[in-house]
Amino acid sequence: MVADEPTFARLMMATQDGDKAAANVLLAEAGVWLERYFKRRIPPHAIDDLVQEVLIALYTKRASWDPARPFLPWMAAIARYRWVDHLRKVYKHESKELLEGDAVEDSDEEVVMSRVSLDRLFKQLPHKQSQVIELVKIGGLSIREAAQKTGQSESLVKVNIHRGLKKLAALVEEEQ
Amino acid sequence: MEKHQSRDDLIAALTADMTPVRRVRPRDGAAMIVCATLAAGIACVVYYGFWFGALTGEASPFYWISNGLLGVVGVASTAALVASANPRIGQRTSASQWSTAILAVLPIAAMITLISIEAGHDHGMGMDDPGLLYWKCAARGLAASSVIALAGIWHLRRGAPVSLERAGWLIGLSSGALGALAYNITCPLDSLLHIGFWHVTPAFIGAIFWRFAAPPLIRW
Repeated sequence: MVADEPTFARLMMATQDGDKAAANVLLAEAGVWLERYFKRRIPPHAIDDLVQEVLIALYTKRASWDPARPFLPWMAAIARYRWVDHLRKVYKHESKELLEGDAVEDSDEEVVMSRVSLDRLFKQLPHKQSQVIELVKIGGLSIREAAQKTGQSESLVKVNIHRGLKKLAALVEEEQ
Repeated sequence: MEKHQSRDDLIAALTADMTPVRRVRPRDGAAMIVCATLAAGIACVVYYGFWFGALTGEASPFYWISNGLLGVVGVASTAALVASANPRIGQRTSASQWSTAILAVLPIAAMITLISIEAGHDHGMGMDDPGLLYWKCAARGLAASSVIALAGIWHLRRGAPVSLERAGWLIGLSSGALGALAYNITCPLDSLLHIGFWHVTPAFIGAIFWRFAAPPLIRW
């Protein structure tokens, strides 16, 4: 069971006032909430790192929450900011291969949710870009294999992945 | 911060020496920006001297229209800027965009007027307008805006802006409009050609400059 909005808000108010016990509970509960949030958005092997990054952000930026406003949208905005950062890092290091077994560890529901979320974003990319991102970044094919499969040159595959991931990060950032 | 093996270790390390924090409130940021604007205005008046024509009725309607619009853009973009230091998901106000679009009417009108003069319709204005090429007003407005931009950056660094590009635009619009306003009260050149080209441009130049310069300064 994950804490609800009033509980989070109460814990955060106490955290802002310097209550260590409240901060420990808040961050532990936020960790559970964030795990669920990211399960639909990134490969499983990256979730824990990203959750830790967001927890650090929540703690260091705790002064930026206004008690007059709801807590969960504040946390979601920070989580999304870090997620976009994560996508940018992926886009900068696109030559890095996906780790094996990412999809295998997912439950069926999570795989479906990830696909729904990605498919919706992919629809907004040119087909050539979404196709090579899917083949290389999700399917795990090498640049050469993707080039053979799509009929694009290897350099065009790289360019399309680069541009597609950049646009994907921008789309996520724009989403409200 | 170093990577921790378990989440519990991370949480323990984070909260080990925790202290109460002072909440980041939009009104604190707004107060800083108002103070910076006043400081910039006072510095301009001390250095360049106040133009009393504004008080004696000598100032043209363009003087009031342009400074009024700069004030509106400054207020709208400052409100959006200080709010962006507190992360949220939801509707964003578009007041700053609309007010900037309205401000853009002035340089466009000046450009059309210039073309009209070339075509032989002077409307009481001419190419011999001493303000037409007096670009220093834009440079001085931009210089005045820098102190206001620093106040905006200071506030955003205290907070947690989650859309850095938008924050960059807002820093530029807010500081450019208010900085121009701070300088313009000292300038006796009040023709449409001068005001349209050189009095309102700091808002646009500032927006473009800070769109690119601000994100590295406020990234967290």
